[in-house]
Amino acid sequence: MSKKVAVNIISASKIYAPKKIEDLEEKRIVPKMIIRRRLTRNAKIMLYIADKCAFTNGKIVYASAFGELQSTVGITDAILNETQISPTLFQNSVYNSAPSYFSLLNEDKDEIITISSGMKSSLDALKTAALQALVSNEKVLCVATECLDINNIEEANNCTNYLEAGAGVVLEIAHDESGAVEIEESKEEGLIDSLLDLVKVVKMWENGYKKVFINL
Amino acid sequence: MKAFINGYESNSCVGNTKELMESIYKQQTGITIDTSYMPETPVGLGKMKYNDFFENLNSVVATVLQKSNLENFHETLLIVGSSVGGMQESEQHYFKDKNYKNIDTSRHAISVISDSLEKGFNFCNSRSISTACTSSANALLLAKRLINVGAYKNILVVGADALCYTTVCGFYALGVLSSKVCTPFNENRDGMNVAEAVAVLLVQDEQTTDSIELIGAGASSDAYHMTNPDPEANGAIASMSNALKDAKLDAADIDYINAHGTGTMANDTVEGLGVEKLFRDVCISSTKAITGHTLGAAGAIEAIISCEVIKQGMIPAQTNLRDAQNKSINIPNENIKQDVKYVMSNSFAFGGNNTSLIFGEIN
Repeated sequence: MSKKVAVNIISASKIYAPKKIEDLEEKRIVPKMIIRRRLTRNAKIMLYIADKCAFTNGKIVYASAFGELQSTVGITDAILNETQISPTLFQNSVYNSAPSYFSLLNEDKDEIITISSGMKSSLDALKTAALQALVSNEKVLCVATECLDINNIEEANNCTNYLEAGAGVVLEIAHDESGAVEIEESKEEGLIDSLLDLVKVVKMWENGYKKVFINL
Repeated sequence: MKAFINGYESNSCVGNTKELMESIYKQQTGITIDTSYMPETPVGLGKMKYNDFFENLNSVVATVLQKSNLENFHETLLIVGSSVGGMQESEQHYFKDKNYKNIDTSRHAISVISDSLEKGFNFCNSRSISTACTSSANALLLAKRLINVGAYKNILVVGADALCYTTVCGFYALGVLSSKVCTPFNENRDGMNVAEAVAVLLVQDEQTTDSIELIGAGASSDAYHMTNPDPEANGAIASMSNALKDAKLDAADIDYINAHGTGTMANDTVEGLGVEKLFRDVCISSTKAITGHTLGAAGAIEAIISCEVIKQGMIPAQTNLRDAQNKSINIPNENIKQDVKYVMSNSFAFGGNNTSLIFGEIN
């Protein structure tokens, strides 16, 4: 048993790069250098996606399978090397860092949910965003990012050719289901599976399909 | 559809749920002073007894199934709340090998907990939430909403976090760890105790003879600072108000608040202020002086405590309370035997992520 709802995809964006995404327009999106310097890579990508989706305030569902790997590695390296742990690294290590920075920068006091469901993270984020839209009747930003660009990642990475990636949509409940379609199966060679379902929806939106069914 | 808590079990530094409630009412802490994570620096930690964290997790879930009205979990959605997932195991490999070669990335992620449980119990589906210390409170919030809209009949919510170097040393780096048993809401408190726990609740759309209703859930963001709460307590007030609105209750209806109450200066000052501003004379205490702060599991284990407070009709005293910082809120020094209809449980997290849940007695 589950419940299927139709959602309007209002805006969508995606970006990925084999190693580091070069231009995330950080200086325009986050003019204050003191804050910009503290942002994690996931936060910068998330802010870029939100900006491209023209989302400034409201409920956010964020997803990441591996979260703030760069911060986590910094902490474990400090423990291993018996050096001091940076408090900023620790505060940035939680999985909800990226949307929390969005909240800080945009004075967004609404709900933030962070999903980390492994390789189906973005699918579960879509389900959760649809639920949030259904119960609130508001627009919801659903965004997923992965940043695996750490030293020696090749020792563990067997899941992606893109070490930095992000995708997002702004959705709302469609009260009229006519014209809604199922999420199309499509492949994105080399992309980490945790982002795949959201990227499918972004690609559908780019191709003119702006109403999709989502199983809660 | 209404959401009912129809079963639960937990394991923490004071043992199972029965032992947990006995410890809370007897004010017997499970915190020990430990030097295994930082040899030169004793800190108070809440350590569970287990050989293998995942065996322990499976055992708690099996107990909930055994006591439930279900034969299996094949038509049950699993929602996990965790802040560290498989970090404990990844650290062991990394500290031993000094490289990532033996780290299984799927066992590092938060989803290792749901993966492990899906293998053992064949849930119809699963998802995992990681919003730091509100993780399993948010798992319960989502479970309530999914039941309310009729998407699922049975949802198992699991809060689970194991102790690891990253959290113990990380909180130490922030300067918020106590070297003693924490003393929430005291004037001279000196920090929190990191702890571990597994807490499991079965949320269903049908009432049983032993149900507690999950009647309200609210959330908010501070939009103030990554680790420090909004000093005006606006975020905490918003999540508590949103939960009251969802439950269609007034502040005066709440009999007891199980506080987030970590024992840090910042949290307890702000939470106390928020309660002072929103409520008149409600009883509030933190059970973290017994369990420690179980991070992503805290929302779930404190949901269980909230249900037990209603069932036992006994508001727990604030353990280790000597001189309350906020004299305007009602922090009981002794257990109070009374009819308890509604309990609010607060969870607050890094990033200014706030969640409040309300549990209600079935009339």
